[in-house]
Amino acid sequence: MVLLELDNVTKIFGGLVAVDSLSISIEKGMIYGIIGPNGAGKTTVFNCITGVYKPEKGKIIFRGKDITGFSSHKIANMGITRTFQTIRLFSEMSVAENIMSGRHFKSKQKWWHGIIHTPFYYKDEKENWLKVKEYMEIFGLTHIAKMTAGSQPYGVQRKIEMARALATEPELLILDEPAAGLNDKERLELVDTIRKIRDMGVTILLIEHNMDLVMNITEYISVLNFGKKIAEGKPEEIQNNPVVIEAYLGKEEEDE
Amino acid sequence: MMNTKNAIYYGIFLVSLIILPFFLNSDWVSVMTTFLIYSVVSLSQDIVLGRAGMFDMGHAIFFGLGAYSTAILNMVYGWPILATVPVAIILPIIASVLLAAPIIHLRGDYLLVTTIGFNIVFTQALKNNVFGITGGPNGIFGVEPLKILSFTFSSQLSIYYLAFFILLLTLITIHNLETSKPGRALHYLNLDSLASECIGINTKFYRLYSFALSAALAGLAGVVFTLQFSAVSPDAFNFIQSVLFFTIVLVGGPSSIPGVLLGTFFMFVVPEIFRQFAEARYLVFGVAMILIMIWRPKGIWPVKFGRIPNYLTKE
Repeated sequence: MVLLELDNVTKIFGGLVAVDSLSISIEKGMIYGIIGPNGAGKTTVFNCITGVYKPEKGKIIFRGKDITGFSSHKIANMGITRTFQTIRLFSEMSVAENIMSGRHFKSKQKWWHGIIHTPFYYKDEKENWLKVKEYMEIFGLTHIAKMTAGSQPYGVQRKIEMARALATEPELLILDEPAAGLNDKERLELVDTIRKIRDMGVTILLIEHNMDLVMNITEYISVLNFGKKIAEGKPEEIQNNPVVIEAYLGKEEEDE
Repeated sequence: MMNTKNAIYYGIFLVSLIILPFFLNSDWVSVMTTFLIYSVVSLSQDIVLGRAGMFDMGHAIFFGLGAYSTAILNMVYGWPILATVPVAIILPIIASVLLAAPIIHLRGDYLLVTTIGFNIVFTQALKNNVFGITGGPNGIFGVEPLKILSFTFSSQLSIYYLAFFILLLTLITIHNLETSKPGRALHYLNLDSLASECIGINTKFYRLYSFALSAALAGLAGVVFTLQFSAVSPDAFNFIQSVLFFTIVLVGGPSSIPGVLLGTFFMFVVPEIFRQFAEARYLVFGVAMILIMIWRPKGIWPVKFGRIPNYLTKE
């Protein structure tokens, strides 16, 4: 079953075509990778999917529904959440409060619960905090629940961001360079975490520069260059694809 | 999630406010009543400025709308005060949503300038006696006292306790806000609007929500203001007043209830204590504001996050 489909998506900034008629299709339950040199338009693709940008042309179809041009919060509520290349946590708030933000849509409190607390409020509040507790346990964050998110080491902040995205109970989790800035040990942990999330039934779409990680973890890859898809296939096919090698390393003649 | 220590502090604070009038002469009870009224306005300003992080420098509009609603409905249309209260709450809500909706996407500094503009228009309208009901530059005098059943709130002491009751309501509301989903959403969108949107928070809705809630509380404070002075005038709600509320929140500590209360105390009560120093006290105040912003950029009593239930960290 196709979970997310991009159909000829084009995004133009001024005169620059950042994403050029891109079509990809992501099966439910897979780990899908998008790679490409710097400036290839990978993050722009993510921003189009999550409603941060509106594409000029093309359609984005999620679970058979056209979501092109929807606002970010609506798309998130339909089941697509993301992390950011530069971690974006609510850094002054505690780790638990950060993860609680992911429960926002699932929490059924209405606007008046911000003024008057009803018995339903107490029930709902407790349910959602207990969910937060679950996610903190999965990511090993319980011992720092009360500490400020911004004061945590980089690797831990990545985990908090993932826990927050996961707390929304998404169907599709989009990870924008999840290994950026991590050391070897943290990177290994990340691989485990991503697999664990997939085993929970979440489809994963990721951008990554670290080739070892991409080849190791993804099941299908699309390669972008200058906003265009230049290749797609299984990791081993991509590794030996001359077009891909050229995009990354340049043509042989040029090296001479 | 209020812990026992905080509950005790708030208990002491509220009990001292209840017994305070017995130790003060009526001039000081009047000063303290003003303190209570302005505390409510500052706390409501804090919802928009401190919690949702929007630079609203026109908060006196909503305070003034509440005050003028009561004064006009009572003096021009002869309504009893009690009947004017719902209008004094609903009118500021409507105004806040109408004013904020088109400008809510503006970045901090732009929003600041726009709200100042609104405030100037508001006071000009009052001064020019629009619709012939605002009383012009002198405002409206001789508003009747509040009557509930057979009791008339005419003594200074009774208005003090009325203002205390409104502050208590405000404190309960804000405590409920900060321990709920809407209250947390305000902090999230303040700290990172894009990240908030991307985890499913409708930031525009909650921005308007914060404006509406704070306008309601400010309007309610306006009613008590009218009762306290039996009068309203445009200068009580001009843009300088908005600057004061704005400053109180920043100096006291955004999102911090004790901080905002302390800020109000320093701005409105301490100057009265040093009355004999006349204008020199304002010099001291200016300098104090500068020093606080340099040394304690998060306010006198900064907010502490991490109000999470205990069962989260225990097995």
